[in-house]
Amino acid sequence: MLDRKQKYLQIAFNRTLEEIAVMINSLPLSSRIIIEAGYPLIKTYGTHAISTIKTLWEQRILGYGLGTVEAPEMKPFQLYKAGYGSPLLDLLLKSIEKRKIENPKREFSEKKEIALTPYIVADLKCMDRAFTEVEAAASAGASAATCLGLAPLETIDEFIKRCEEIGIDSMLDMMNIEYPFEILGKLKKPPKIVMLHRGVDEGENREKEIPYQEIERIKSVYEDVLIAVAGGETIQEVITGAFNDADIIVVWRLFNENPEKITSLCNEFLKEIK
Amino acid sequence: MNLKRRQKYLQIALNSTPFEAREIIAQLPFSGRILIEAGTPLIKIYGKRAISEIKYGIREGTYIVADTKCADLASREVEVAADAGAQAVTCLGVAPVETVDRFIEECQKNGVDSMVDMMNVDDPVSVLKELKNPPDIVVLHRGVDEREFSKEKQIPFYQINQIKDNFDVLVSVAGGDTIDEVQRAVFNGADIVVAWKAFYQSTAETAKLAEEFLKEIR
Repeated sequence: MLDRKQKYLQIAFNRTLEEIAVMINSLPLSSRIIIEAGYPLIKTYGTHAISTIKTLWEQRILGYGLGTVEAPEMKPFQLYKAGYGSPLLDLLLKSIEKRKIENPKREFSEKKEIALTPYIVADLKCMDRAFTEVEAAASAGASAATCLGLAPLETIDEFIKRCEEIGIDSMLDMMNIEYPFEILGKLKKPPKIVMLHRGVDEGENREKEIPYQEIERIKSVYEDVLIAVAGGETIQEVITGAFNDADIIVVWRLFNENPEKITSLCNEFLKEIK
Repeated sequence: MNLKRRQKYLQIALNSTPFEAREIIAQLPFSGRILIEAGTPLIKIYGKRAISEIKYGIREGTYIVADTKCADLASREVEVAADAGAQAVTCLGVAPVETVDRFIEECQKNGVDSMVDMMNVDDPVSVLKELKNPPDIVVLHRGVDEREFSKEKQIPFYQINQIKDNFDVLVSVAGGDTIDEVQRAVFNGADIVVAWKAFYQSTAETAKLAEEFLKEIR
């Protein structure tokens, strides 16, 4: 379903469904955008969240929710009380603006491809009962689902098998795993996508880094596997991810904390990870 | 902590639909020693609504466990579960240490019990040693997939006392489908025994197990 030669931007949505509706209506309809129904979102709304996102996107294609919807009342959402604010982001946006002024001739002639149906990832973080969970996600309309690399091997194998049978992509989330390579070696079959991941709570611990060096290592052995990286949020980190040959870059914080800037953020990120 | 020490509990996990959950709850004997769990599949499919619907159908004060199996974003998850009416929330023992620490902290803040699920953890004691504070309850657990595909994997009962010797926590053991299994777990030192209702079982059987538990185990 995903094109091997493309680079994708995966946006994890974690606000309320009403707010997500507004955000989806502001997204560029690019086929390079992957929508992730975040883990907290699924825990809050269940698989209903997936089907709602799908409906919203399709309605937009059909012309029900045309254009960018103004969302003046949405307050920035902050995960933790202290620490992460938007000054940093404003600085980032300012620098983007500045760069645009400095290089006025820098044109991006992007061939725009519109995705008629959205590619939705259900971030289930499956740990057990793979069969049931894959089934639930697929029937709600997901195109891919995630399983934890830390789950029992029996669960991962069952997960990958069931995803294949049912026709969705399997994504293995390597959060908190030092050597993803070892886990892959123990599986009956590799997943479609491997996600290298630094958790949000971990992200506060500055010492922990996304193991970019693993990307090439995994790709050299498992040729068909796509690599996603999650946990880097600044534009610099996103560029680093793409530079290191990641196929999918997962972001969430910037987008969820600044829903009103989602259109410009998306365009900027899509340009950078070409 | 919302549970009493030196008391034995039976936790009934509900995994199919909120409708069936209510059906089972209606047949269960009422006792403070019966805990109700909103299972992971139920929460993932129905969301937090599953917890509040279960809460709606039962008597005031019943202890509800939200088996969210938190792996990241602990503060958000605890908040959602506590808000929906759960008295205890679960977190994965394999999650990053930062997550588990934050999870336990948030549970304390929200007044709910923290349960750390040791599924796929070889040595629970070493995980507990890395934490800033131990959780209220440690869950020893073999996954459903594990049991189905590798029948030789058993719950290591010897770990119950190993954990209790080192930490002031309650230990919960999953996998008590018959009264004999429940008795065996309690005999080995478990404070809470988790029972599932298998899909081929009738709700009456689950209710019977609960009644036997109340009668046989004090």
